[in-house]
Amino acid sequence: MSPLHNLPEETLILLLKKKNQQAFSYLYDNYMDALYGVVCRIVASSEHAEEVIQDVFVKIWKHVDLFDAEKGRLYTWMINIARNTALDYRKSKGVVNELKNQPLSNIVNTEEEQDQSQSEQSAKADFIGFKNILDKLKPECRILIEMAYYEGYTQQEIAEQLDVPLGTVKTRTKAAFLQLKQLLKDFR
Amino acid sequence: MDIAAYISSGIIESYVLGLASEEEVSILNCIRKNNVEVEQAIAEAEKALEGLADIQAIQMPVALKDDIWNRLEAENLVAKDDQIADLPAEQALSDDTALQSPILGSEEEIKSLALRKYYGWAVAASVLLALSIGANLFFYQQQKENKEMLVQANATLDMQNSTLVVLQDKWSLVQNPAVKTIALKGVENKPDLHALVFWDQTSKAVYLSLEQMPAAPKGKQYQLWAMVDGQPVSAGVFPLNGKEAMANKMLDIPKAQAFAITLEDEGGKAVPTLTELCVMGSI
Repeated sequence: MSPLHNLPEETLILLLKKKNQQAFSYLYDNYMDALYGVVCRIVASSEHAEEVIQDVFVKIWKHVDLFDAEKGRLYTWMINIARNTALDYRKSKGVVNELKNQPLSNIVNTEEEQDQSQSEQSAKADFIGFKNILDKLKPECRILIEMAYYEGYTQQEIAEQLDVPLGTVKTRTKAAFLQLKQLLKDFR
Repeated sequence: MDIAAYISSGIIESYVLGLASEEEVSILNCIRKNNVEVEQAIAEAEKALEGLADIQAIQMPVALKDDIWNRLEAENLVAKDDQIADLPAEQALSDDTALQSPILGSEEEIKSLALRKYYGWAVAASVLLALSIGANLFFYQQQKENKEMLVQANATLDMQNSTLVVLQDKWSLVQNPAVKTIALKGVENKPDLHALVFWDQTSKAVYLSLEQMPAAPKGKQYQLWAMVDGQPVSAGVFPLNGKEAMANKMLDIPKAQAFAITLEDEGGKAVPTLTELCVMGSI
């Protein structure tokens, strides 16, 4: 289940830049499940997640030349592409939802969206079966990572929603990472 | 900045989660460049999220692999060269590393080339420096020699000039029809001594040149006397700094039958010391 990214990042980058089928297979087999996990948790619908993950893959494939090893790790870079693509998708859907009181021509879409969101509710249930390691974090830490990581809230929004000062958001973020690291250690 | 406090502040984790403000991100990017601990803390936070993604992975629908490949091909995003695509991963990867080494090799070659170039420049610079120092020393030496020669030449010229002046001086005296030249000859025990008195008959001015007289010993001075009607009259002392060959102006003498020089104590005497008589000449 856990991806086999046993290649050093530098080698992987060289491999990806070749853009051949071998590079494709390696990337797909070793990283896509993890990225798909991220996308699914953000998009919360397996149908849309499939669409989004394809876009994610194409983006990685196209832009690997732009990746700058000095600014971070390749895997993190790929995760961020997955996150941002999925969050953008969510946002665009959110914009459509806000168009409920728009002229007739849009209503068809809106109704579709409503249907969609109903099916999403059931789709979200699809994921309930998947283990969520975050459940093992302290609740105030778990909600923080979920809001930031999977829902794309800003620091300010989190502070407002949780009704805590900005500084507290930061210290809880730090605490959440410490717990997460410990959990990962236990898991391995 | 207190790096430990910065690392424990939670800013790094906020950044990795995408929560940091623009300002915080730009500060962080600035710090990470110069601080290994911060860079490491960032990498660790990133690895935590990577670990989370690993654990939370969800298996992709099998059909997607072909769908995505077809899409890449359709969008012309796949490299045409598929020769190594059939090779097992390890072999292809060792190909990769093999591909890497010549690049590294050439990089080293470039480095050594650059180094050789650098040494070339260094050697050239050293040679130029040595040449420059040598030339400087040479020219300095030559200039010193030239200076010395110039000083010598000047001295010679000065000497000749002064001799000329003396001669011209005497010549003008000799040329003057009013001037009488009286040769003073050494007395019995000093036959080699010789002096000249130039006596202007009109102005009564008297000039003395010590043509062949030893320099007066310390504390002594030559004194010129005019014999006027059997009585010696002082015509003054020969100046201490006066040049022997020069026609030095003495006291005016209106009337005389002979001239004589004695060696007297500095400053001269009222009466000549006859034992110290050096030269004498009658008109």
